[in-house]
Amino acid sequence: MAVREVKVCLLGESGVGKSSIVLRFVSDSFKGALESTIGASFMTKRLEVGDVSYQFQIWDTAGQEKYRSLAPMYYRGASAAIIVYDITREATYRTVKDWVRELKRNCTADMVIAIAGNKSDLNDLREVRARDAEEYAQSIGALFIETSALSAVNVPHLFTAIAEGLPPEDPVSFRPGSTVQLRRQDESAQPKSSCCGSKKSR
Amino acid sequence: MAAVEGDGLERRVSVPHEETPTSPTVLPWDRFSNWIHCACVVTFDLELGQAMELIYPGHVKLTDVEKTNICYLSFPDSNSGCMGDTQFHFRIRQSPGRRHFPKSAIQKDYPHQLQADNGYLYGFVYFRQTKDKSIKRGYFQKSVVLVSRLPFIALFNQLVSIIAPEYFDNGEPSLEAACHDIDQWQCPLGGDTVSLPIFGTVLQVRIPSRSDKLLDRVPIKTTPSPVLPAPSILPSLYEIDIFSSFQTILPHIQMLWELVLTGEPLVVMAASPSVTSAAVQALISLIGPQKYCSDYRPYFTIHDSEFKEYTTKTQAPPSVILGVTNPFFAKTLQHWPHIIRIGEMMTQVPKGFNKLKKVSSMKTLDAKPGVYTRYKQFLAKDKGILKRIIKGMQAKRPVEAQNAILRRYFLELTQSFMIPLERYMGSLMPLQRNISPHKCPPSLRPFDTDEFLSTLERSGPQLTSGIKGDWEGLYRRFFRSPNFEGWYQHRQSEVNQKLQVLHLEALCNADLADWIQDKEEVEVVDLILRIREKLAFAVNNDIAINEESVHKLKKHLDVIVTSLPDDLQSVLKS
Repeated sequence: MAVREVKVCLLGESGVGKSSIVLRFVSDSFKGALESTIGASFMTKRLEVGDVSYQFQIWDTAGQEKYRSLAPMYYRGASAAIIVYDITREATYRTVKDWVRELKRNCTADMVIAIAGNKSDLNDLREVRARDAEEYAQSIGALFIETSALSAVNVPHLFTAIAEGLPPEDPVSFRPGSTVQLRRQDESAQPKSSCCGSKKSR
Repeated sequence: MAAVEGDGLERRVSVPHEETPTSPTVLPWDRFSNWIHCACVVTFDLELGQAMELIYPGHVKLTDVEKTNICYLSFPDSNSGCMGDTQFHFRIRQSPGRRHFPKSAIQKDYPHQLQADNGYLYGFVYFRQTKDKSIKRGYFQKSVVLVSRLPFIALFNQLVSIIAPEYFDNGEPSLEAACHDIDQWQCPLGGDTVSLPIFGTVLQVRIPSRSDKLLDRVPIKTTPSPVLPAPSILPSLYEIDIFSSFQTILPHIQMLWELVLTGEPLVVMAASPSVTSAAVQALISLIGPQKYCSDYRPYFTIHDSEFKEYTTKTQAPPSVILGVTNPFFAKTLQHWPHIIRIGEMMTQVPKGFNKLKKVSSMKTLDAKPGVYTRYKQFLAKDKGILKRIIKGMQAKRPVEAQNAILRRYFLELTQSFMIPLERYMGSLMPLQRNISPHKCPPSLRPFDTDEFLSTLERSGPQLTSGIKGDWEGLYRRFFRSPNFEGWYQHRQSEVNQKLQVLHLEALCNADLADWIQDKEEVEVVDLILRIREKLAFAVNNDIAINEESVHKLKKHLDVIVTSLPDDLQSVLKS
């Protein structure tokens, strides 16, 4: 089976649940009071989508302001970025746009950007409408998904959607004898509209 | 909400398998200190001179002497020639009386030369000097230093070159982030290929193991990674570019091997600490896998706390290797028997390249590159290797290839020298049948130099090396060096440990309950004490004894104790 390494970086305000999303994805668990991240945490996780095995290298950055200037080190060279906000705190949604601007300025156009509205279990306290975020995501060609690290809703799907949204690999770097060629045909045959409802307009 | 329909996708998601790098039993900084002691920032203070600005993590303690040494050694001696960024490393003595780090079990599979030296610390420096009008002195001067007990030279040089520029741009949070990254690194176990995340990239390097076959290298296993980010693969944890270091003194490199092997006092003089530290490290590595057992200082200054001890003229120069840049040393160390002066990299082979320089012509630091010594080589000069390397220079052979040739050459030479010693050492081992559960473990026969030398005729280095010369003289010189002592002690402790293990196994397998039947109480008590000693030894030395043997032995012990009278039992239990 072809193995593809994918560097993913999580960005977003302090306390929106970046580390909780990673913890849910990597070890399917949840901790109520995670200590705040210093610099960034690194984890890996293998995920099979179709006949490709994706080795995610996840850089979970710290949300605190003092680490803000370190972010470029972590998103540099990443194939995907997940910008997380908290659906119950409007302010955290506003910074999503700053991150998008920064990524568009500094990263290559084929980077997959995913916007994740976390804490979807707290619907009663919602401050950000899903439709607004979705429309925004669509307008910038990003994936959009609401997640709950607490109840595990949509967390794996977030990463599956990223895997599916990745541009085809450079044919030069294919391993000989792998079945990648077939997969690419499959992939191009698939409808581009992803499960997350937004098309990647490129 | 454009939520995902769970069905359909769920099946494609693999069962989560645990890959979390953190485990609850690991305390913060435990992982970090497997690799690094601390990170420091040294700055130039107008009133104090070099000063420690920051030590991270904050709980790490350094004594005042250590701090002073680190401060002085973190800046080039003469800053004028070092505009921009300069990288080098140093080695300092830990302050005496400090709690020494116990030799950790992590290192037990390392080759001897990679094991940490108790009582020494390495510092890996990244120094930046730029013009800055906003600062009173007109210059920004600062160093980031990684302090470690481990001689992982190549890795830590690389690491500090990743961390320091970020620190200069972003300040303390980046140092904090770097240390936090390192605190997630897996344990550096011999033989493992480790992936080390740092600042958004992953370094991959293999930790050598003592069981590596030295003459055919284990290639690093690269997982096929067709897409960025491919991890940056470090070709070696500790090896550095010896070819470039010795380029200006290549014809003497075989003699340098002898000087290092026999622990002669050596000083390397050059204009920059980058050059001296690389050269001193390259000298040490010439005799690998043999460990260089004397002190060595890749960069040494007049402020060093050992300055007096090492430069005194009232005693013969000590068995150490020093790298110096301060012109003052040309005078202070002019009585030293061997002085290596390293010049700029050259583009062609100059005239007189082959000549040794007279010590008397070595008065100042401006002297020409070369080796200043009266030393007469024991072994005949091997012109073949020199020709090969010079040809490579003319043909612009890549540095890596030149290094590979040199490394292999010296590995073979060192092995040829060591194999007869190892073989003789093997003959000093007691016979297996002399290991009895009822006697003390047998010990190694002492090393008899004359007896050893008499084995040379039949099984000396001539079996594996074509080099002629006075090998016996070289061995005699070697016997007087700390390298011999260090090698002998290391082997001795290995052998003794092995004997202890064999003896312990013999005890486990003996029918002790039967043996004590007709024994006096004294003898039984003796046995009990011996078993207890064994158990303590097993615990203290963390040696490779299986749990089962220990368990068996404990059971033996219980049985024997209960066979004794009650009053004696209570004495033994107390």
